[in-house]
Amino acid sequence: MLVMNARNQKKAILFLLLLAAARVSFAHTVNYELANAPLHNVVGFYMKLGIQHIIPYGLDHIVFVVGLCLLSTKLKSILWQATAFTVAHSVTLALSMKGVITLPASVVEPIIALSILFIAVENILISELKPWRIAVVFLFGLIHGLGFASVLNEIGLPPNQFLLSILSFNLGVEIGQIIVIALVFGLIILPFGRRPLYRRSFVYPLSALIGVMALWWTIQRL
Amino acid sequence: MKKRFTYGALLLFFFGATAFVVLRYTNKLQNKANAFYPLKERKGALAQMPEWASVKEKGDKLIRIVREAPTDIRSTLALATIYIQEGRATGDYTYYDEAAMKYIEDVLKTEPENFEALLLKALVQLSQHHFLDGLETAEKAKAINPYNSYVYGLITDGNVEMGNYDAAVKSLDKMVSIRPDLRSYSRISYLREIHGDLPGAIDAMKQAVDAGYPGDEGTEWARIQLAHLYENTGDLKNAEMHYTIALQERPGYAHAVAGLGNIAVANKDYAKAISLYQQADTLQADYTFKEKLAEVYLFNGQKEKAEDLIDATIDKLNEAANSGEASASHHVDKELTYVYLLKNKTDKAVEHALAEYRRRPDNIDVNEAVAWAYFNDDAEKALPYLTKALRTGNKNPTLLCRAGLIYNKAGDKTKAKQFLSKGLENNPNIDPLLMGESKEVFAKL
Repeated sequence: MLVMNARNQKKAILFLLLLAAARVSFAHTVNYELANAPLHNVVGFYMKLGIQHIIPYGLDHIVFVVGLCLLSTKLKSILWQATAFTVAHSVTLALSMKGVITLPASVVEPIIALSILFIAVENILISELKPWRIAVVFLFGLIHGLGFASVLNEIGLPPNQFLLSILSFNLGVEIGQIIVIALVFGLIILPFGRRPLYRRSFVYPLSALIGVMALWWTIQRL
Repeated sequence: MKKRFTYGALLLFFFGATAFVVLRYTNKLQNKANAFYPLKERKGALAQMPEWASVKEKGDKLIRIVREAPTDIRSTLALATIYIQEGRATGDYTYYDEAAMKYIEDVLKTEPENFEALLLKALVQLSQHHFLDGLETAEKAKAINPYNSYVYGLITDGNVEMGNYDAAVKSLDKMVSIRPDLRSYSRISYLREIHGDLPGAIDAMKQAVDAGYPGDEGTEWARIQLAHLYENTGDLKNAEMHYTIALQERPGYAHAVAGLGNIAVANKDYAKAISLYQQADTLQADYTFKEKLAEVYLFNGQKEKAEDLIDATIDKLNEAANSGEASASHHVDKELTYVYLLKNKTDKAVEHALAEYRRRPDNIDVNEAVAWAYFNDDAEKALPYLTKALRTGNKNPTLLCRAGLIYNKAGDKTKAKQFLSKGLENNPNIDPLLMGESKEVFAKL
């Protein structure tokens, strides 16, 4: 059936609209309190917010970053993934705050949970890091950026310090991620990563735990 | 090969699940676009109100018309107006604001410059406490029709809530010059009140009441405001008289019943106050009645009942805050601040007060809420917010007593004495817990 009825057409249009999601009218929430604040206060405020969004409030992001660290024991590979993730989420965060791309939390949050589930299952099924993992992580970063945007939208951005506040928030998120990576590297990979039973003792159980959590979040957020 | 297949299957699962999430959401949007909102049956005394039968009949008829002819703009806006009025009458803003907004947006999709639709949109946005959005929409409406008095009323409200008091006075002057009526007089009264002119505020509110038709919701709402002003000046006789008249003119009017509850509290008849607040709470879903009831329970030593009620109120407020998408939810952070303070959860109170402050840093009520939230744990931090809250010269006794207590805790005994003396002057009828603490501190100064 190539001919769609009116209802399906409407659905298709809505679907396309949602994917394009170019709702320029919906720009970021304004934070008037910080509009007149000194620069260092703005930087400090959003950087702290970014860190807190990972540690302690962003359990899903912590778990995602832990998942990224488990497939390879090489620091270089982990950093490549972290960089791809960072670049991607920075792009969508900025675009979303500018109102160029917006997706409702009811769509973004379950997909974030699915991305964590993906990483967990991949860690179990695939034994070594392949280049396409970087591409997949980049794709997930784009989605996580939209999630970060919803947090920033709750707090709002000062109208005259848009770029600075976004950069500060991103910097905070990076600091949070680096702390998580450093902890996983220092506590798991460095002492146990070269042992023969590393995958069986750490990667499988941790990934399974992450997978179960992600599955639960997916269901919960639907 | 096997690994590639595994990876492909994994990707397929991910994209399939993502498509499911997106389709589910578009379905929801579709259902919402096709949804219609029946008028909810009123219960108890609200159902006995004389206007209910005609509202119901008119509402049902308009719903039928709009469903059959969605392009009938006049009927669509009439239906949206009924939803707004019904939200105000029942206190069920979450449901009726969403309903009204759906139909208003339907009209604006086909006629983006429809003046009446913009007016109603601004009204709903203000009701949802999206004050800046409401102000912007009202300004847009004004650009289309600058000769309508009501649009200046909405701009006044938006400016007041955003803390732009000079701009509010200007737009109100314009409103009065076009049409002096209940709506403009009541706004004059409020602006006089926050600028410290209580007798002037009472005069203007009397004019507002006289300008309205007795028994109308608007008139009786103004009468309730008049009674509140009398309470703040300690004139309980006049306050009680106006609450009683409001109840006679509009039987079952929840705000009048709650007002009589205030009088019972002043007379230390707590059993009667509890009964009246409970009655008001069943008549209309307004969180302030629950808050007042919880205060009396606390004052009366019924801590468990108070806690249950506070928890229920927090749930209700959060429900309003989380209803629908962000643009449709209500901003209730200021309200949550005071409820969390009743629960002695100062960290949560500060969190919500600051959330509202970020939206409206110049509004005096918001600054008062932040200052009061900080009072218990860090009075020093409260001071800059308090200064801002006092900047219009507002002589509201609750604000003055709070100011006195904050200054006392921060170590400024002179200012503490000055504000407490002013706040307690004329023995106003305010929250008994605040009154008690204020008197105790004042006696020691």
